[in-house]
Amino acid sequence: MLAEFVAHSGDRLLRVGYQLTHDRAAAQDLVQGARVYDSVRRRGGGPEDWYAYLRRAVINEYVRTRRLRSTGEIVTDLVPDRPVADCPEDRIADRSQLWAALGALSERQRAVLVLRYYEGLADREIASLLGCREASVRSLASRGLAAMRQLAVASAPVQEDRA
Amino acid sequence: MNEIENDIGRVMAEHDAEAPGAADLLYAFGHAPRPRRRRARWYVPLSAGLAVAAVAVGSIWAGQLLAGRQGGGTKLGGVGGGVRLTCPARYAGSAPWVPVKPAGVDGRHRLVPQRTPNAALICAYAGSNTEERQTGWALSGRRSLTSGLAGLAGQLAWQPGLLPGQDFPCTLIGGPQTNYLIGLTYRTGVRMWVAATDDPNACVRTSNGEFTSFGIVGVTVTRAFATGRWPTSPPASCAGHGPGAGRLGQDKAMVPAGSTSLIICLRHRDIVKSGYHALVSSLNRLATRPSTHGCSHSQGPGALRYRLLFTYSQGPAVLVLIQSGCHPEIDNLSLQADSASTIIPLIQQLLKTK
Repeated sequence: MLAEFVAHSGDRLLRVGYQLTHDRAAAQDLVQGARVYDSVRRRGGGPEDWYAYLRRAVINEYVRTRRLRSTGEIVTDLVPDRPVADCPEDRIADRSQLWAALGALSERQRAVLVLRYYEGLADREIASLLGCREASVRSLASRGLAAMRQLAVASAPVQEDRA
Repeated sequence: MNEIENDIGRVMAEHDAEAPGAADLLYAFGHAPRPRRRRARWYVPLSAGLAVAAVAVGSIWAGQLLAGRQGGGTKLGGVGGGVRLTCPARYAGSAPWVPVKPAGVDGRHRLVPQRTPNAALICAYAGSNTEERQTGWALSGRRSLTSGLAGLAGQLAWQPGLLPGQDFPCTLIGGPQTNYLIGLTYRTGVRMWVAATDDPNACVRTSNGEFTSFGIVGVTVTRAFATGRWPTSPPASCAGHGPGAGRLGQDKAMVPAGSTSLIICLRHRDIVKSGYHALVSSLNRLATRPSTHGCSHSQGPGALRYRLLFTYSQGPAVLVLIQSGCHPEIDNLSLQADSASTIIPLIQQLLKTK
């Protein structure tokens, strides 16, 4: 049963975990922390049922553990630098910054953005998953996007001085 | 959906492939004892049962999935201390440049440790050596290596060091140049960077920020970047030694200890020899000085030229160039010695023996 679940949904669940944590090991911890084996064994049903159920468990585990942890330290090797205007390499760099900024959002904001833009869920489904009102989802998404826009402005291309 | 929402979707999709896979999960269920923050009462008996069940039920799946993905040794790439590397947006210094010097590892005596990293990331910064600005090149691509990490360690750990103040002349061919940063993480949590460059003159050094090598690995890194795996080193040969020859320790001894065979390169053939230890002893007894990668011809009888390739069980070979009448007559690219008068008879004797 476990093998069946892992083969059917393991990759998918781990990818969601990775989008949430940006860390391979943490993504695995998250999925294991969601008691995949226990849930699959107790719940019965088919792999599709398990996925929806376990995605909720992973999201809850993510929010719960992030609240417990939060050391405030962000380890990065990014060198603070600003890209030069209008070259393809800068767009690659911008996307790297966007990814880094996603990682800096609050756990609930990030969860909402991952569920909305990665999993493609409607706000109503997200609200059900997170156990909150739809208006709260819209608010979290709006604040998350605002933070992302701020980053986009902060890292907007600057003209290189060629004098 | 507005632009930033599209960008977020694209960024998430771009990072999809970095996520661990089902094989990792099965592997972790079956093998990895992980410290847990919460140890509920059910955990201990369940984890034992889980391990047994996962191994029993999932062994076939795991075998198939593991075979189809990375090598087993690199499976839990982020476990060692949970570190991960991110490519700097720009190559901020002149090549060779690294964002940070090695920490938690001896970076002064070797380019990289003699152990296999659990993950490797290559960051590419493409430009040209004719550009006015040789710093600040933007990130042009990144790639995680999925295999060949032991080969990477074997090759990089043995790159020859530069002696203090040593410098060599370079050709001045203009053309495309790619600076690379190779990010390595180890299970102990150590992480480090190595700067390597693929340039038209094969002249830019390789460095970890503390140890600098004249060994040229840029072409190999370009291949690794293209394929996602560190290429296997071909067996040492006279035709293929090119700029890849050169080994750690050859700045202290003309032929470092541990050589397993000698190839004498003649014009049309390579001759592999054993029983050459007298030659090694004689070479290592010579008075030496730092190599300039050059010699000056003098008038005299016809020159004798030999190229000796000393190979090792791991890492690059040592190339010793011998040319009578061109002073200094002996050069291993790190050290030079004036006279080959005691060495050439030993080589000729080796060539006579079968």
